[in-house]
Amino acid sequence: MDSIVSTFHIDWKIIIAQVLNFSIVFTMLYIYALKPLSKLMKERGEKIAKGVDDAEENAQILEKTNIEYEKVLVKAKTEAQILFNNTIKEAEIKKDEMLEKAKSDVAIMISDGKKTLEAEKTKMVADAKNEIVSLVMKVTEKLIDKKLDASFDEKTIKELSNL
Amino acid sequence: MKEKILHETTIFAEKITDFGSFHITNALITSWVAVAVIVIISIFLRRKLKEIPKGIQNVFEVFAEGALSMCDQVTNDRALSIRIFPMAISVFFFILVNNWLGLIPLGGFGLIENHEGIKSFIPFLRGGTADVNTTLALAVSAVIGANLFGVVSVGIWKTFNKYVNLSVLGSIFTKIKKEPTVIIVAPITFFVGLIEIAGEVAKIASLSFRLFGNIFAGEVLLVSISALVAYVVPIPFLFLEILVGFIQALIFSMLLVVYFTISSSDHDHEPARNASHNDAGGESHEHQKLTQGVV
Repeated sequence: MDSIVSTFHIDWKIIIAQVLNFSIVFTMLYIYALKPLSKLMKERGEKIAKGVDDAEENAQILEKTNIEYEKVLVKAKTEAQILFNNTIKEAEIKKDEMLEKAKSDVAIMISDGKKTLEAEKTKMVADAKNEIVSLVMKVTEKLIDKKLDASFDEKTIKELSNL
Repeated sequence: MKEKILHETTIFAEKITDFGSFHITNALITSWVAVAVIVIISIFLRRKLKEIPKGIQNVFEVFAEGALSMCDQVTNDRALSIRIFPMAISVFFFILVNNWLGLIPLGGFGLIENHEGIKSFIPFLRGGTADVNTTLALAVSAVIGANLFGVVSVGIWKTFNKYVNLSVLGSIFTKIKKEPTVIIVAPITFFVGLIEIAGEVAKIASLSFRLFGNIFAGEVLLVSISALVAYVVPIPFLFLEILVGFIQALIFSMLLVVYFTISSSDHDHEPARNASHNDAGGESHEHQKLTQGVV
């Protein structure tokens, strides 16, 4: 043992110094490199794992949403078609109703017009007769230069109006 | 006439100066430089750490991931690998930087010492691991660290029983009626536990002298080749020594992982591992396999 110690110059003080050197290396490497690096790598790993999970979840949500979208779209199309058909039907009915109403209004208007025209005509004829009678009376008065009485007037008027 | 100066590669680290009774050797100076290099790199790395890795962080992360995967191959348990990893990687870097610093051609700087009329050249720098004191310090740290790790992992009683197996002696009284053979098996198991103590010493010796032998042999080889044919011929050997330095650092740190893994395993529940652990004078089957694989 002594020969080994003397041959290799084994010195416990140097051994302790080297243990101390290694302790410094271990401590510094652990504090400054390994600990923060492993923390960083762990965090990054968690982040990546979370990202992958989120992506998978999002893909599932997207797929689900697409299915929902398709369903809603089909439902909306069906509803729109029904709504469209109903609207067309309603519009047809409305159109017929309006047409009917317009026809009846026109008919009423025509009949009213006819009535008015008839009344106007009757009134015009009566007025014209009166005018003619008074004209005839005035002419006759001038001709005979005598005032005719009321009975003559009425009689004459009747005769004239029957012309 | 020009005086002859002796350039001799000694098996021990040469003394540069004294600090009281403490001898400061050239290997110790190299180790301090190695410590400074590692500390500077660590601080630099800490300052450059970013969520999106770049440059040195990228290299270090790739290296750390690879090293952790190698640990996994030994431990088969990522959680255990993560616990052992800081120690293993520290040992790896300390040895690697020490090995490579010994190869830097700065050996030309040194002292001329006059010893009994013979002048000899003492370089300021010598590979830290080319001194037994350094490798012994690392081996002792590794073995003591492994046992402390075992105490923390499986408890002090189980770790103690690995060496002084009192529980197996106690089982003679409790199991003798059921298994009469226990009276033979228990003392043998107890004796195997005592051999484990010798195995721990063997671990220190094998770890320290393997590393020292390889690195010192490399330095001697480089000096010899340079003395024979200078300048160009030693270059391939220099590259070889760079590789040897890396491999030796890797072997030492992987053996450390093996020792830590063995210490942290509960031997009562792992008879197969226990059996393999007791062969080859305390060096496990995994150890042998790994050593064969790497070397």
